[in-house]
Amino acid sequence: MSQQREVSREMQNAFVDGQLDAADWTALVERMGSDEALRRELCELRTLKDMVKGAYADARPRRAAPAADRRGWARVAGLALVFALAGWLTHDATERIGAAAALHGVAASGLVVHVASSRGEVVDTALQEVEDYLSDARAAGRKVHVEIVANQTGLDILRAGKSAYAKQLERLRATYPNLTYVACHQTADRLSEQGVKVKLLPGVHFAPTALDEIVKRMQQGWVYIRA
Amino acid sequence: MKMRGLFGVSAQLRARVEAQREPLFRLAYSWCHDAALADDIVQETMLRALGRAEQLRDQTRLKGWLCAILANCLKDHYRSAGPLEPLDEDMPSHAQSPEAASASSQLAARVRAEIGRLPLGQRQVVTLVDLEGFSYAEVGEILEVPVGTVMSRLCRAREALRARLIDLAAGQEIKIRSIR
Repeated sequence: MSQQREVSREMQNAFVDGQLDAADWTALVERMGSDEALRRELCELRTLKDMVKGAYADARPRRAAPAADRRGWARVAGLALVFALAGWLTHDATERIGAAAALHGVAASGLVVHVASSRGEVVDTALQEVEDYLSDARAAGRKVHVEIVANQTGLDILRAGKSAYAKQLERLRATYPNLTYVACHQTADRLSEQGVKVKLLPGVHFAPTALDEIVKRMQQGWVYIRA
Repeated sequence: MKMRGLFGVSAQLRARVEAQREPLFRLAYSWCHDAALADDIVQETMLRALGRAEQLRDQTRLKGWLCAILANCLKDHYRSAGPLEPLDEDMPSHAQSPEAASASSQLAARVRAEIGRLPLGQRQVVTLVDLEGFSYAEVGEILEVPVGTVMSRLCRAREALRARLIDLAAGQEIKIRSIR
């Protein structure tokens, strides 16, 4: 009787994906000998697998590893120590930004703040933390440089006619000449491909990619924080 | 001594992570069908991976670990970009490539378009299994879903693809195999 039962789709998939145990595999192979419909269905599944694989056979990264790759990655590896100490790079934005308080004890020549989101709570907190950091450094007579690097949807904060933070960013830059803004060219390219014209706020510069800029700054001994 | 050892491991790890750039891109691209976004997501994945290197307890599971980070990066992107996924259509640069006129490329473009029509969860499962050969258990770990969910998503995905594509496969099998 069991020979007459249909082989479930899950079982068929598991067969073509090599996920059956030996006993089930043997039973199914035996069944195939007398079940033409099953053979055809399995053949179709196998063909679909090949089609999916073939569909992406020529997919290659458009951008190779950053030019400063070897040394850059070494710096990233070193950075991992900083992250581990400060508890950054977590998923929770509040926790990430909250950890920025630890910056006050960090002796670094510069701070690169990575903004990859345009969400209000992320940007508001990041800008507030940057201002507090610069203000404290000035009061303590410490020379520091802060750079805000924006990509993905975070690029919006640096776009003329799009940014809800244009005035705040301009005020901050006027108050702290040691604060700079950098936009990711790769993100801008992507927007351009979608027909979006990207114009930056005054004084904002492009970097080839956010990663390039972050790696470059870390090579210079800067500390990285993700907003 | 401890520092030296740590940097030695990191150097080895970064080389291994870099070696995964292409398969990570292929997966990211198959999930979002946007080459520039896929580049961004892969770079973000590598940054996160090296920032959390201490979390990789079993070095043999590097690829699955990276794929899990990749899935989270994409999820974070969609969360910050809003509820809409990118359009489920094929990437323009493929349509404009010199090989676009060939039958195999046309078929590949059609398959990508149909994969793009699948819900993201199904798309991720079918590509993790078919492109990278992960087991169902590994896919469950990568996407943080039970194995039963992996199997049901895979079933639905393949049913949809079968309905839309299998007629095209007749007479194309030789060409499909030739581009593997």
